[in-house]
Amino acid sequence: MMNTLSSKTLKKLATRPEFYVFIIILLLSLFIQAKSGLFFSNNNIVDLLQSMTVPLIYAICAYLGFISTGPDVSFPLIAALSGYLATQFVFVTGFDGPIFVVFLVAIFFGLIMGAINGFIIANYNFPSLIVTLGTTSIFSGILLGVFEAGRIKLPESMIAFGNKSLFEVTNAGTGLGSSLPMTFLIAVSLYILTYLFLNFTMAGRGVFAVGGDETSAERAGFNVKRIRFGVFTVNGGIAAIAGVCYSIESTYFLPTEFAGKEMIVIAAVILGGTRLLGGVGTLTGCVLGTLLLTIVTNSLILIGVPIYWQKFIIGAIIIVGTAISVIQISDLKGFRRNKRRKVGVA
Amino acid sequence: MSENLISVKGIHKYFGGVHALKGVDLQIKKGEVHCLAGENGCGKSTIIKVISGVHKPDGGDIEIDGQKYDYMTPTESIKQGIQIIYQDFSVFPNLSVIENLAFNKVLANKKKFVSRKEFRRIAEEAISKIDFDVDLDALVETLPVADKQLIAISRALLDNAKLIIMDEPTTALTKKEVKRMFEIIERLKKEGVTILFVSHKLEEVFEICDSVTIFRNGKNVISCPVSEMDEKKFSYHMTGRHFEEDAAPKTRNIGGTVLETKQLSAQGFNDVNLQLRKGEILGITGQLGSGRTELSLALFGLLNPDKGEIKIEGKEVKIPNPAKAQELGIALVPEDRLTEGLFLPQSIKRNIVITRIDELSNKLGIVNTNSIDDESAKWVRDIGVATKNDEFPVSTLSGGNQQKVLLARWIASEPKVLILNGPTVGVDIGAKHDIHNLLRDLASKGMGIIIVSDDVSEIINTCDRVIVMQKGQITAEVKEADLNAKTLANYI
Repeated sequence: MMNTLSSKTLKKLATRPEFYVFIIILLLSLFIQAKSGLFFSNNNIVDLLQSMTVPLIYAICAYLGFISTGPDVSFPLIAALSGYLATQFVFVTGFDGPIFVVFLVAIFFGLIMGAINGFIIANYNFPSLIVTLGTTSIFSGILLGVFEAGRIKLPESMIAFGNKSLFEVTNAGTGLGSSLPMTFLIAVSLYILTYLFLNFTMAGRGVFAVGGDETSAERAGFNVKRIRFGVFTVNGGIAAIAGVCYSIESTYFLPTEFAGKEMIVIAAVILGGTRLLGGVGTLTGCVLGTLLLTIVTNSLILIGVPIYWQKFIIGAIIIVGTAISVIQISDLKGFRRNKRRKVGVA
Repeated sequence: MSENLISVKGIHKYFGGVHALKGVDLQIKKGEVHCLAGENGCGKSTIIKVISGVHKPDGGDIEIDGQKYDYMTPTESIKQGIQIIYQDFSVFPNLSVIENLAFNKVLANKKKFVSRKEFRRIAEEAISKIDFDVDLDALVETLPVADKQLIAISRALLDNAKLIIMDEPTTALTKKEVKRMFEIIERLKKEGVTILFVSHKLEEVFEICDSVTIFRNGKNVISCPVSEMDEKKFSYHMTGRHFEEDAAPKTRNIGGTVLETKQLSAQGFNDVNLQLRKGEILGITGQLGSGRTELSLALFGLLNPDKGEIKIEGKEVKIPNPAKAQELGIALVPEDRLTEGLFLPQSIKRNIVITRIDELSNKLGIVNTNSIDDESAKWVRDIGVATKNDEFPVSTLSGGNQQKVLLARWIASEPKVLILNGPTVGVDIGAKHDIHNLLRDLASKGMGIIIVSDDVSEIINTCDRVIVMQKGQITAEVKEADLNAKTLANYI
């Protein structure tokens, strides 16, 4: 009995893309460990977590976009513009109070930008990809053209927060030290909040319902427009948090460093099993997908893989990873042509 | 109290300049199964939407359980116990059965938070109403179509439904599933639920309904108990035309063998020997899963045979893919025209000419738009596709006209063998009649035609010879002389 049960859960597990990503992560990390002996060192792990922080927050934006509607590609530029505005707020007002006020200012601007996306997408039913591509370009124009934003050293109060760390570790062997910044805690809290929202509120279930079947959602009594508007608005707020975190980590506001990050984040989310067509995907998948791509960008260097090979490997992983989930879906729908439905003679 | 649960009178509805409902009446008695029939575009779905509050009528009265309304709203309609089972069942494929069942009720109670316990309780209550046996935790996309429908029905019953409107509920179901659904309808009827059954399938109407109302062009043309209705009357009122289907000439010059298989086997069927001659219409019938569909796929190169041979005009051929099949002069009109045949968002014109695109373009592969226009116009006219403009997307057409477009496309390629899988599934009577006539006409011009179908009347009316399949094998062959519903039913 016990045996059949566990093999059943295993079977169920094996149909989830997250499972395969997990296996790949395991194999890859064991391989790097075997080759270099450095992967499972304390400072490498902390380094990974630190590099994952901002992509993890971005991943929530990409994820919420996909499950409710479709791609959202505007989060890096919302992060940049709202991060810039929050930094300017500190400079102009000379604000020296608690850091969360800086976050609130950024979130405020992020929500406004997200609301613009949400309004257009929900009200006019335009494809989210096109709308967010458009607003990305607009936000970038405002940032670099209107504000003429350049590289800015952050105000002291923000740098101070960046220097605080949750804990520090030193690798006994190499003497290299790493610290985990407070921003990691922010990422973790955002995941917990998103998880609770998606699973325990009707609005959260509505996000899945709308992504699964818009018409059915409307007939069931969900407010489809409000849900979509809400998702993209919240995405703006979350992106703003990521923007401030990113600046704090680098102690500079770097206006040109944001653009282009969306692709790898989206790749991570899709790799983690989020379905392009909406309604399906888990936060665990987002974390695993992000972890895998972070390992590839961060740790392959440990075994001497040149930087330019990383891009190659990332590309390969994305294609293979998505192929797995596509095969899963087509199996489900019985689309395989030549082995068409095994018709049971009932 | 009146004995009518619902009575609408003189309802008018305009959409822009289109007068969709021209003062229709519809009375449904308490506890009956009432059929609403009519061809596509006759106003069936509009009246449903008026009753359910989606559309506001531009005139007329609605009376529900003795209470008069000028118009309904969706909430008021649900409050009065009116529930609709939509054709697509309105389910969330990506979510569990539990959530699919519980959402409506939880949302109606304006709950903000999720209680798993409550969800499960609601779901269990829902399935208990029709003794529906299903894994509550399964994702709906993994379930068969029939189960999705049962989810929709049990969900509707949660709200103490008095009237359940079923919009063409049997379209996607197999015969067995239809039977099970009818049992459920009988059961609901016993429990006092009134049902409005929207359908244009004759046999079903006679089997399950107590009374029937037929709409044509936005007007109700007849309303009577089913006992006073017969097949001829039914088709006449639906279409306004008299059909002399049985009198259609069947005699044709049947020529030499065009297609032959020997011991053909593939996944789904074994050792199939069949012969098709020029000018002959051969029917292949059997239950779902009998191998009939697989056989048609194999002949079109969509399923690779394990063994056996296929001969075209006496020459042995291999058909590894559809391109080769077309080259050999074989055409297949698939079972599911929406997903397997048509390019729905593309224009009617493009859909028609696609198989002839090589002939209509020059050596450089540049298409000649004039000849495409001519070609398309010719087919739209010849085959009677009801459209104002062949630039409109195919998705704007009714089921019957979509099927005509698909037929036109394949006939345009002038195949030697035309295979049709369920050629009139989901097609209204008028279009069905047109399609059958067209097929007879093609056969008389020497085309060999295979009709794969489980519609007995279709087979009897069009085929010269019928092969019956069971569990992947040919179990009987019926010649035209012996072809009638009784003999055929015995074999199937």
